[in-house]
Amino acid sequence: MNRRYLLSSLLSVVLAFIVFPAATHAKDIVVGTSVALTGKYARTGQEQLQGFQMWVDEINARGGLLGQQVKLVHYDDESKPETGAKLYEKLITDDKVDLLIGPYSSDVTMAASTVVEKHNFPMVSSGASASEIWERGYKNTFGLYTLAELYMDQILEFGKSKGLKKIALVYENTAFPRGVASGVKTKAKQLGMQIVFEEEYGKASTDFSSMIIKIKAKKVDMVIGGSYLPDSTAFMRQAKENRLYVKIFAFAVGPGLPDFGQNLGLDAEGVMGNTQWEPTLKLPGAKEFGEKYKAKYGHEPGYHAGGGYGAGYVLEAAVKNAGSTDRDKVRAALFALDTVNAFGRFKVDATGKQIGKPAYAVQWLGGERHVVFPTDAATAKVAYPFKDWGKR
Amino acid sequence: MELLEPDILLQLLIGGLLAGMLYALLACGLNLVFGVMRVINLAHAELMLVGAFGAYVLFTVFGLHPLLSLLIIVPLLFIAGYYLQSVLIERVVGRPMLTSLLATYGVSIILINVGLLLFSADFKSIPALQGSFLIGEFSVSMPRATAGAISLLLTVGVYLFLERSRLGKAIRAVSEHAQVAAICGIDVRKIRMLTFGMAAAMAGAAGVMLSVIYSFWPGSGVDFIQKCFAIIIIGGMGNFLGAFYGGILLGVVEAFVGGFASSQWAEAVAYLLLVTVLLIRPTGLKGAARV
Repeated sequence: MNRRYLLSSLLSVVLAFIVFPAATHAKDIVVGTSVALTGKYARTGQEQLQGFQMWVDEINARGGLLGQQVKLVHYDDESKPETGAKLYEKLITDDKVDLLIGPYSSDVTMAASTVVEKHNFPMVSSGASASEIWERGYKNTFGLYTLAELYMDQILEFGKSKGLKKIALVYENTAFPRGVASGVKTKAKQLGMQIVFEEEYGKASTDFSSMIIKIKAKKVDMVIGGSYLPDSTAFMRQAKENRLYVKIFAFAVGPGLPDFGQNLGLDAEGVMGNTQWEPTLKLPGAKEFGEKYKAKYGHEPGYHAGGGYGAGYVLEAAVKNAGSTDRDKVRAALFALDTVNAFGRFKVDATGKQIGKPAYAVQWLGGERHVVFPTDAATAKVAYPFKDWGKR
Repeated sequence: MELLEPDILLQLLIGGLLAGMLYALLACGLNLVFGVMRVINLAHAELMLVGAFGAYVLFTVFGLHPLLSLLIIVPLLFIAGYYLQSVLIERVVGRPMLTSLLATYGVSIILINVGLLLFSADFKSIPALQGSFLIGEFSVSMPRATAGAISLLLTVGVYLFLERSRLGKAIRAVSEHAQVAAICGIDVRKIRMLTFGMAAAMAGAAGVMLSVIYSFWPGSGVDFIQKCFAIIIIGGMGNFLGAFYGGILLGVVEAFVGGFASSQWAEAVAYLLLVTVLLIRPTGLKGAARV
């Protein structure tokens, strides 16, 4: 085999790779997204992707969107905002996708939303809830989640009704947890409760023992964490090790996931948290989605999966109303949309911020996650106070 | 200010010492390898995670308690380290520093990705040895106390081995001057393989201990390896005892900074310590390269 032959055959192989994928999918509607499949947000990112994937499968089985098959292009942003931004740039300019779904987590969404704004490309954002994202005058990011600032309101009101006063507030130093924290501060002030301890921690923090020793010295009534899964689990473990006892433990994200119970076992009992969604909510298609998801992936969907699934339906409704995937028409349709799907109501204000969806509080009871607030959606009665470590 | 009360100070000190012992076990292994063959093992933290995931598998599949799994994982990692040295690292010893850095970095990338394939990117933890016990007024975390005690035992054990035994003396001889050691009839190649095996075993043990304290995923190594670098530079490059003191120092300082400032500062303190030590005593607390 001479060198020339080798070169030309190599070249033809390369060319085939470049030409053929484009040719075979010319008629598909391509939806692009990047979610964390590695790093801190991997677990939740993967759930979101699987939920969205289920919508893709369903719509293709139903005959497609506007009569065309939907194809999903997705990448792993490694839980890093800078990687997320690069990937959205790539999705828009390189992959030339028709529609966009947002990444998981508020801080990656912060970065990605700047990229889509630059290209004036509407993005349905499933995994973000920090209101900071919608305070920059952008017109292309459409949120599904209830805002982070509202996460702890019901739990704080409940604490107030039990006569609790002193709060310890700890949170990660990124967009979403800071959003939760600022909501807690506002609400606590309204209710006349005091934040006697406040501390931010880094994204990679795994050791909270020094923090817990300080909280213990302050003799607080409730601990509220603006957290994700790994940090809320670590905090509870170390709270037990250091025998920190308060009346209410409440964390963002972590307790809303099945892993929280798996990793902590009995120590999860009584911990409160939030959820954007549960398969038990009375919403059209929620129960069916829960069953189908469980059959396919082997576990109950958390709200991240529900969000991914709901994002598909929001996108579908908007594209149908717009009658095409034209960016300007889809954007206008998203602004005008007021719909209820399996994930809940979708209605945004003039900035794209979600204003139609309520917040739900959950609690781990008997090894299961139950909705406890608002009472009309509750699946169990709230347990109070948190049982002392010594008496479990 | 309630923070200055003696019982809080003591509680912070206990936490810091326990964390420091685990750091010390990990960093001593890294320094041992550097001392003997002037190779910085970038895959050291991944070897630790091999130990952690090993304990996880043994616990979830066979229900084996992490403390018992030490008896399996430590010898296995010794063997793995021994052969890793003979197959790969041996080829880069004595070459320019960059060669060995690249080789061990490659090992670390391979291990991380094998970990991602086998275990995905989920955080794992082992729900064994939970809770705490009380010493008077102080609650001492059960997993940390166990990890601290075992780490201390292993580190001191390896130190005594190096100081007292004939083989340990041979290791120190190779570290001081490989050529002279070879002339004296020491099988330098074999010593290096033994050393790397020991370092891998120490990393594996640290991994098992880590698995009962923290949650971990295949990419967790980076946080630890960075701290380890800081520790060995603070303690003295290649100096076994230096890494021990450096580890304990970092654990205690982190706990106090976390207590008095915030945990965000605690994460930066390793590097602040590093810069301070480099300015005042560039060879580290115990001086460089003496095993």
